[in-house]
Amino acid sequence: MKTAAEIAEPSSALLGDMSIKPRRLGARARRYGYAVAAAVIALALWQAAVESGLISRAAVASPVEIARAAAPLITKGETWAAVGDTIRSWSEGLGISLVVAVPLGLLTGANELLYKLTRFSFDFLRTIPPVAIVPLALLLYGATNRMALVLIVFGSVWPMLLQSMYGVHQVDAVARDVARAYRFRLRDRIFRLVLPSAAPFVATGVRIAATMSLLLAVGAELIGGAPGIGDQITLEQQNGDIPTMFVFVVASALLGLLVNLALINLERRALKWHSAQRLASA
Amino acid sequence: MAFRPAAGFRLKTRLLTVVLELALPVGAVAAWWFLSSRSTSVFFPPLSEMATAFHQTWLFARWNTDAVPSLDNLALGFLISCVLGISLGVFLGLAPVVADAITPVLEFLRAVPGVALLPAAILLLGIGPQTRVSLIAFGTIWPILMNTIDGVRAIDPMIRDVTKSYQIRGPGWLWRIVLPAASPQIVAGMRTALSIGITVMVFSEFTGTTNGIGFQILTAERAFAVPQMWAGMILLGIIGYLLNVAFRGFEHIVLRWHRGMRQLARS
Repeated sequence: MKTAAEIAEPSSALLGDMSIKPRRLGARARRYGYAVAAAVIALALWQAAVESGLISRAAVASPVEIARAAAPLITKGETWAAVGDTIRSWSEGLGISLVVAVPLGLLTGANELLYKLTRFSFDFLRTIPPVAIVPLALLLYGATNRMALVLIVFGSVWPMLLQSMYGVHQVDAVARDVARAYRFRLRDRIFRLVLPSAAPFVATGVRIAATMSLLLAVGAELIGGAPGIGDQITLEQQNGDIPTMFVFVVASALLGLLVNLALINLERRALKWHSAQRLASA
Repeated sequence: MAFRPAAGFRLKTRLLTVVLELALPVGAVAAWWFLSSRSTSVFFPPLSEMATAFHQTWLFARWNTDAVPSLDNLALGFLISCVLGISLGVFLGLAPVVADAITPVLEFLRAVPGVALLPAAILLLGIGPQTRVSLIAFGTIWPILMNTIDGVRAIDPMIRDVTKSYQIRGPGWLWRIVLPAASPQIVAGMRTALSIGITVMVFSEFTGTTNGIGFQILTAERAFAVPQMWAGMILLGIIGYLLNVAFRGFEHIVLRWHRGMRQLARS
């Protein structure tokens, strides 16, 4: 039997620390100071590595070059169109998966027979690397947003489905019996017992799916030529404009960072009542 | 406390569970086989054709030239990130001030989708396997590193105090106290890393190389050799599943003590 902790990817230390209030403001300021210093040192090392030729300038741009290349791009519509394309494929893909996977997972998790019948199959499908369908998606849809979308849905539907299934299946037996003994109505059982207990599992599934599907979205654009950040990376590489290429690499990272932050914050806010969250912020 | 059915009954329910679990996949494959047997669709050829293509391509004509190099890259990249990720993670986990300071940098690096660096990696390292090994290592190191840091930091302070008062130090302390205590977290990170590793492995073979499973699938797609393409996809599915099973076995062995503890805590 798998538990949530085994599938779960623990939330990161950085994001976890944000909620902890240091007793003194000074300690907090000092910590931020160290973090800024570390970032500056990392950037300086990177700059030095490129300047000294340790890392070939033909392959990797230095931070200064990237910043210089980014400045004119920020006001350009095409840049934002590319970023927007990636965000759109990604959020649409995640949205579709959410709508399909969560109800299906909750349903199959609630019924013991369905649970046993489908568990192995879903677990098997989860282990199929989603990249495997890149060629098929390319063949069917060519270099379009649709291709990226199919890939993202295929990659994110299984973690959400399985997490929802496990979530419902692991509703506390005592709570379940109590609800039955007090003859809770079906509606109350669903909204007051099953959904709240399954929510943390579903949230973990969404977080896993979100990380994986950004990788898939950028990959689909980079290889398959679907419009978006990945496509821009390929284009700039073909133009030989390494600094601009790195602007888009950094953009994809910032996007990943932002979404991770947003999801963890949302999770923390929505699941404040849950013991795992209380424990984490204690 | 738990109700224990008689042994015969347990065996029976277990058997029933296995039958139930296998019913759907076996039924699905059978349905696929028969429903597709007269398929004239270009994109979805009969399963029998895919099976033939699979046999001709992967058993074992291209096994040594394409599948083995792919898996070698994956194994090497994963190994590198395990060694680097765990050792660096233990160091940072024991030095919380340093860890706090560089966490934002690490978080940023982790957010870089490994595939986005593929063009740069090809320019920097050429088209040899070292490019793909480094990309796999880059993609997989972050979950292992972050989880190791978290795992080491979360070690029960009482355990630290007790080991200190017993003067357990040095390598023995690392191997017998710190690593085992953090291992459930480390293993969870390795599991995430493995699935990222497979993804990066295949993506990295889609361009800038002339062999590998990913290369074969994409070449088949471009040549419109649809059954061959499906054969490669099926191979990836099988590899993904087997790697998962192997990892579960590894986890079972490494975390045996952990399961025992949890059961103790429960009873």
